Amino acid sequence: MTREKQVWTVHTLVKISVLGVISFVLTFFKTPVWFTLPFLKLDIADVPSLLGAFAMGPVTGIWVPLIKNLLNVVVEGTVTNGIGELTNFLVGSVMAYTAGWVYKRNRTFKGALLGLGLGVISMTVFATLNNHFVMFPLYGKVFGIDRDTLVSLASAGNGLVADYTALLLFSIVPFNLLKGLAASVVAVLVYKRLSPVLKG
Amino acid sequence: MISGGIIVGQYYPVRSLVHSLDPRAKILISMVFMVILFVGNNFYAFAVTGTFAVLAVTLSRIPWKVLVRGLRPIAFIMSFTLVLHLLLTPGQVIFQIGPIKATLPGLIQGIFIALRLIILIMFTSLLTLTTSPIELTDGLEDILKPFSRIGVPAHEIAMMMTIALRFIPTLLEEADRIMKAQMARGADFESGNMFQRAKSLVPLLVPLFVSAFRRADELAMAMEARCYRGGEGRTRMRQLSLSAKDYYALGLTIVMSALVIYTRVRFGPVIPRGTV
Repeated sequence: MTREKQVWTVHTLVKISVLGVISFVLTFFKTPVWFTLPFLKLDIADVPSLLGAFAMGPVTGIWVPLIKNLLNVVVEGTVTNGIGELTNFLVGSVMAYTAGWVYKRNRTFKGALLGLGLGVISMTVFATLNNHFVMFPLYGKVFGIDRDTLVSLASAGNGLVADYTALLLFSIVPFNLLKGLAASVVAVLVYKRLSPVLKG
Repeated sequence: MISGGIIVGQYYPVRSLVHSLDPRAKILISMVFMVILFVGNNFYAFAVTGTFAVLAVTLSRIPWKVLVRGLRPIAFIMSFTLVLHLLLTPGQVIFQIGPIKATLPGLIQGIFIALRLIILIMFTSLLTLTTSPIELTDGLEDILKPFSRIGVPAHEIAMMMTIALRFIPTLLEEADRIMKAQMARGADFESGNMFQRAKSLVPLLVPLFVSAFRRADELAMAMEARCYRGGEGRTRMRQLSLSAKDYYALGLTIVMSALVIYTRVRFGPVIPRGTV
């Protein structure tokens, strides 16, 4: 119990940093996806956050993406004025926190799958709403890209994107589902082998 | 992709006035600049902000070549918006090829947005070009400190960042080594569909995590052995202090901001509201 209360032990501190770095390193392995906006890239950088949220509690699922995105800004600089990084942080931490929260209450393989499923869904819902209400308008302000521009950018690769609603449904939603799914699959594949190391 | 000798980071180490400014002052100036750039709504404002940015770049002794290279990732999106604005904005037609019409307000609007984006990216990339990641982290800690009252763990975030920064090269090297080792055993990281590629990263991830956590454990023990116990009463090797030049830079920023606000009040938007 006393160990539970003491959130910032040296070990937690160092482990979160390392998970953040691995997450940052994994962003180098990214691929663009044909059906969505050119600046959305698919990577599995959410794997360390998911593993952290499973092994060390849901809150770790927020710190890891925070460190990853801060590293990104501090080391690589930002071309989106931090908008891209902020989105990535929020979306990533919603998924990892949800997954970790469910797994904490049901520590079985099924619980993990349920957590990941809910994580992916809540991330997709959050990302879509966030894009609609905050990010697209913000991008519009900063880059002068309005909705129509976004639609035509996406429709270049994806014929289904005819209007703005279609952009959200056929481009943003599948992108986030795919991103969450890819990270979840990898997390499931490696978690059992790594959990003793992560908790140690 | 990670291949031999990947260069991570933007920091461009030369000696200059801008490099020697306090990171806190630089972060603050960058934030003010970002806001002020969007307060300015006409070309007079760009004359002010542009001059400020050019002055900063010149004083930083960063070659223009490097800054222009930083614009490359947005070049596509920028030209795309420029063309769309040019073609889709209604108004006086300047030239016409078949059904495609380019309009004067479209041209002005397009140039306006492109120019703003160029100034923005140039100035903000100057921050990471002239300030090392570790300095930025130190600055960030001080800027976040007031928020620790409402529960933001400023010191912990900065400490995690510092540790993370130290680990980046190590883990990149490690990832590279493991990848080569697995490739020598016949692993394939390049082909297959997205899921196969994600799966192919498993033999990279497992050893990477294991070795990273071994290092983390050693570091944590070393820190405990040296009695690390959080930010309370901790002293620093690099002490931040504001000097005269930081105050001059901040003063200049205030003057620049005032000028931009003046142009906004005096001249109004580049294209009057309601005409586009």
